[in-house]
Amino acid sequence: MGSVVVSFDLGGRPVEVLVGPLTTLQSVLRTQLGQTSVKDGCRQGGCGSCTVLVDGEPMASCLLPVQDVAGHTVTTLEAVTPAGGLSPIERAFLDENGFQCGYCTPGVEMLTAAFLERVPHPTREEIVEALAGNICRCTGYSSIIDSIEAAAEAGASAQTGTAR
Amino acid sequence: MTVANYFQPTSVPEALALLREHGPDLVVMAGGTIAMQLINEGVSQPTSVLGLRRAGLDTITPTGDGTRIGATVTLTTLAGRDDLPLLATTAVRSGSWTIRNMATVGGNLFTPPPGGDIAVALLALDARVVIAGMSGEREMALADFATGYMTTALETGELVVAVIVPRVAAAARSAFIKLGRRRANTPAVVTVAVAATMEGDIARDVRIALGAVAPTPIRARAAEAIIEGQVLDEDRIAEAAAAAAAATAPATDPIASEWYRRRMAGVVTTRALEQLAGRVPEAA
Repeated sequence: MGSVVVSFDLGGRPVEVLVGPLTTLQSVLRTQLGQTSVKDGCRQGGCGSCTVLVDGEPMASCLLPVQDVAGHTVTTLEAVTPAGGLSPIERAFLDENGFQCGYCTPGVEMLTAAFLERVPHPTREEIVEALAGNICRCTGYSSIIDSIEAAAEAGASAQTGTAR
Repeated sequence: MTVANYFQPTSVPEALALLREHGPDLVVMAGGTIAMQLINEGVSQPTSVLGLRRAGLDTITPTGDGTRIGATVTLTTLAGRDDLPLLATTAVRSGSWTIRNMATVGGNLFTPPPGGDIAVALLALDARVVIAGMSGEREMALADFATGYMTTALETGELVVAVIVPRVAAAARSAFIKLGRRRANTPAVVTVAVAATMEGDIARDVRIALGAVAPTPIRARAAEAIIEGQVLDEDRIAEAAAAAAAATAPATDPIASEWYRRRMAGVVTTRALEQLAGRVPEAA
């Protein structure tokens, strides 16, 4: 079959990539499209560090062939970060010390963006449930949950630009 | 990892033609939560992969005697179905949000234990598997589908296109309990799904299914027979739970030991039957 051309929408701009069959979205985003927020973690869908939104739904980009998102919309953390500033979610994570090493942070923040779109005023329990697939090995879960609560209080859902 | 072909058929006939052309070397993938994982790890090194996301198998439709659930319906979709309460409950307890957005009902039938919770619930619902081949569709009881660890009754060139969940009586009750090493996003120590129709205190049409305690999901038929037509009291439940534990053939893996799995199979079956009998409130 050889290489194939795949087109999709990346955070509002059309992109086109040339890939080998079954190349993962994670690999394409990171190595071809400069989206280094998308981490190359476990490659098993188990850590959440490669979480991106596909048509607004969080997905593990390491398990997703880029050919499957042809014609769809992919949102990464780069796409929700305003030029020269921080998104409300990023601001909340900074204010509440929502990260230590930062490796899990982009995945957690993308999950948060999708979550607050659906549940703008979550309980702590709902946040914990939503976060079940995102692993933080600095064990900073309490401050991550604090950060998501703060983002919710700041009304982050209306400003992330991640419409369903 | 070098895959020569990734096919994305847009219909079942197209998928079947590819299966016929490429034979057993073609790896079929739905949500990718198992297949891509194995490919990423290098455990699986297929030359060709067939992806089902565009094959039009993602719908849930009423059928003659129940509900037909397309093979690529995701666990997220299932989790939102109030009309399929046991499957919805099971889906919510499976994987993480991200994985539920990708993992499919059909893929669950091929998921090796200790994964594959949906297949356990489907087994308790007496589900049938709809299999498409070049000569049309055939149906098979899910109980006959898995033949061993990661082996099925599917023949070369065939494709699972749906499962059918028979309609249940209005008085039907069900319960699902999964014991893992943590509460969410975890492989199971043991998974138990039970269903029955309660006539007062009498349980009829009892189904007890267990997962993660044998090479395939299993029905605990001896345990079912102990309860069938009986009052679901403490003694009967204890007797049935012991029979269910005796029916297991667990493996030791990083999640749990064989000994612990067998012990917990009895404990969790007891709890599930207590829920069925309405003796305890449904746990979160």
